[in-house]
Amino acid sequence: MTADLYAAATGLIERCAAAYVSGVPGDAADDGFFGPASVTWRVSTDLASPVAGLRSLLMQALHPLAMAGVDQHSGWRRDPVGRLAATSAYLATITFGERTAAAAAAARVRRIHDHVRGVDTVTGHRYAAGGPALLLWVHAALVQSSLAAGRAFGTPLSADDSDRYVAEMRVAAELVGVPRPLVPASVADLERYVASVRPELRCTPAAAESMGYLLDPPGLDEDVAGFWQDVRDAAIAVLPDWARAMYGYGTPQPPPLAPGRRTEIRQSLGVLDFLFLSEPGVLEARQRITLRMRAARSA
Amino acid sequence: MKARRLAAAAMAGGAAAALTLILLRRRPRRLRYDRGLAALRLFVRGGIRYAGSAPRLFAAAGEKRQLLREDLALQTAEDVADTLGAMKGVMMKIGQMASYVDDGLSPAVRRTLARLQDSVPPMSPQLAAAVVAEELGAPPERAFARWDPRPIAAASIGQVHRAVTRNGRAVAVKVQYPGIAETITADLRNVALLRRMLRITAPAQDVDALLTELRDRIGEELDYRREAEDQRLLAAYYDGHPTIHIPAVVSQLSTRRVMTSELSGGARFAELAGWPQHERDLAAETIYRFVFRSLYEVQAFNGDPHPGNYLFHGGGRVTFLDFGLVKHFTQAELQPLLQMARTVCVEHDQEAFRRSLEDAGFLRPGAPLSTQAIVEHLAVFYDTIRERGPLTITGDYASSVVRRFFDVRSPVAEYISVPRSYVILQRINLGLFAVLGELCATGDWRAIAEEIWPFVQGPPSTPMGEAEAAWRARRQVIAA
Repeated sequence: MTADLYAAATGLIERCAAAYVSGVPGDAADDGFFGPASVTWRVSTDLASPVAGLRSLLMQALHPLAMAGVDQHSGWRRDPVGRLAATSAYLATITFGERTAAAAAAARVRRIHDHVRGVDTVTGHRYAAGGPALLLWVHAALVQSSLAAGRAFGTPLSADDSDRYVAEMRVAAELVGVPRPLVPASVADLERYVASVRPELRCTPAAAESMGYLLDPPGLDEDVAGFWQDVRDAAIAVLPDWARAMYGYGTPQPPPLAPGRRTEIRQSLGVLDFLFLSEPGVLEARQRITLRMRAARSA
Repeated sequence: MKARRLAAAAMAGGAAAALTLILLRRRPRRLRYDRGLAALRLFVRGGIRYAGSAPRLFAAAGEKRQLLREDLALQTAEDVADTLGAMKGVMMKIGQMASYVDDGLSPAVRRTLARLQDSVPPMSPQLAAAVVAEELGAPPERAFARWDPRPIAAASIGQVHRAVTRNGRAVAVKVQYPGIAETITADLRNVALLRRMLRITAPAQDVDALLTELRDRIGEELDYRREAEDQRLLAAYYDGHPTIHIPAVVSQLSTRRVMTSELSGGARFAELAGWPQHERDLAAETIYRFVFRSLYEVQAFNGDPHPGNYLFHGGGRVTFLDFGLVKHFTQAELQPLLQMARTVCVEHDQEAFRRSLEDAGFLRPGAPLSTQAIVEHLAVFYDTIRERGPLTITGDYASSVVRRFFDVRSPVAEYISVPRSYVILQRINLGLFAVLGELCATGDWRAIAEEIWPFVQGPPSTPMGEAEAAWRARRQVIAA
């Protein structure tokens, strides 16, 4: 593993916290694209979010062209934590931000994507990050991961709410440029779509290398590292069997997590959340969101 | 046992310091190489910085407990689980303990902890009512003649409501968050995770002791019946006392998760600032008598003696609240303390003082130190009671006690440790001397101590002492 090519993962929590705070408006002029009554807001405040985030990266990286785009263009190796923080900031803005802020953030991402194009050295295929195919995969991986992580380690959604969540999230895909009719609108649609992409997926050397880094980031603060291990175990546990196999885990199939292990992982997620909350501004941002969700619930 | 010197830090504050480190993410790299030393350094640094502002910060902490965000009220048991489940309740509990157990925390850490503790919202009126109904078998409007659905204060893992009982007594009702005992109990079972948190600062050999301490302390607070028992014990002892008042527990309305006791009015500690010095001195005298009478006669010490738990009525009358953290001592544990006071303050026998320190486990036997140096090092703890005559306890004195407690640079410090059962007594430094220092209280503390010391049983030295002696005489008549 060429981990020394990568910068150390210092300040992961601090920088992701700052990114989160930057995305949650202080005194919102409008409810943004989802709003406090949405399932999306609920999912985004779930304890299992870090697991969802890591699982979606693991899924996204299995698409050779998506991985090539990241590998060849982004500053991922130089500043992996910065890249993760930027993604966190983007997601927070899209989810909780006002419409203008969300649209502006999406426009920025589209502009960046325009320049991300090239040829994948593994498959020999051309790719364009701004093309709907890759964007859709990235989108679907995130949505599916949130559902899977929440089901296993967070507060599971009902079947109806799961469908609502998938439907709500279509707007996120549209914002980065996927035509609406292409975006799955229900859990069943989503699963069909993921199954249809599966033949294209594989663990390329770039995916193995960057995910290896992410699963065991060097330079993580020692006190955070132990908790990150639990997030990693959790994310791997909720991958589809085939995806886990592509990364070389689970041949033969690993035993399912023991019931006690789920509790332990939730406890670790709680500690991480507590650390996150103790960063400047996070508690206040969380309270603003809670109050707006409350108001929407009682309205 | 080379780290016994750390005992005070590790036992009382290790959990706090661990949390501190986790919260502030200081330099993990260094810790890896020399955890014990780094923890000590952090502790000492914090202690010294804290010492300068101890009394003031301390007063502020008591007041902040009143802060309740009703708009964020927890409405369901799920809300409680989201807010306090998955280890978060345990961490806040550690933080709460830290905020008064241990004075080695820097103000910044203290603020972070206070902010997170204060961030726990109250229960909604419906949720609190549901707990009362479950515990007392009837909704609060029927269990009580009158029930105020708005909480008046935050409490340990719960909140306090005002009510009037069906026979007309005004009461304070402490209601525990639903499900919290179960979730915290489950979280305390994850020894591996707790160890991981504690290990970050505490030297390896102390982690298990720390863990035990932590689990014991939190476990005790989860069952209000234990607190009710301690409060009943003290209320019974001080029944009829001229200035010390302990609210009576209403046993029929107290259970594991609900505790009802007589409601007390009175001025808060902060208001005392505007009282004449004479009144402040009287209040201080009562607090002083309460601490040492409880220790030497009830063999109990309230480990949570912060100013938020005192209500003042004038004329020296004080109501003492909140007995969630009472430590009971055996005679065998008390004897060495008395022996130390006696040898150093009354008999002026330095060698005997040294022997009693060694017997109690405070001083390593055979330490290569002159007895003179040992006495000088520890003298500050006895400064208020070495000689008769009025003496004013200043904020500076309180700070110097705290500073000395954390002074590890002295050659003596290396041979000093605090045995586990006495660790809680360091809160006398905070709870008593910081409060008396803040009041700038004057008194003949030695004469009062002589009244209380069982080996002297001195005559009353003040009007309050006279009144107390009369009360004691009445008690004995009743007992006989």
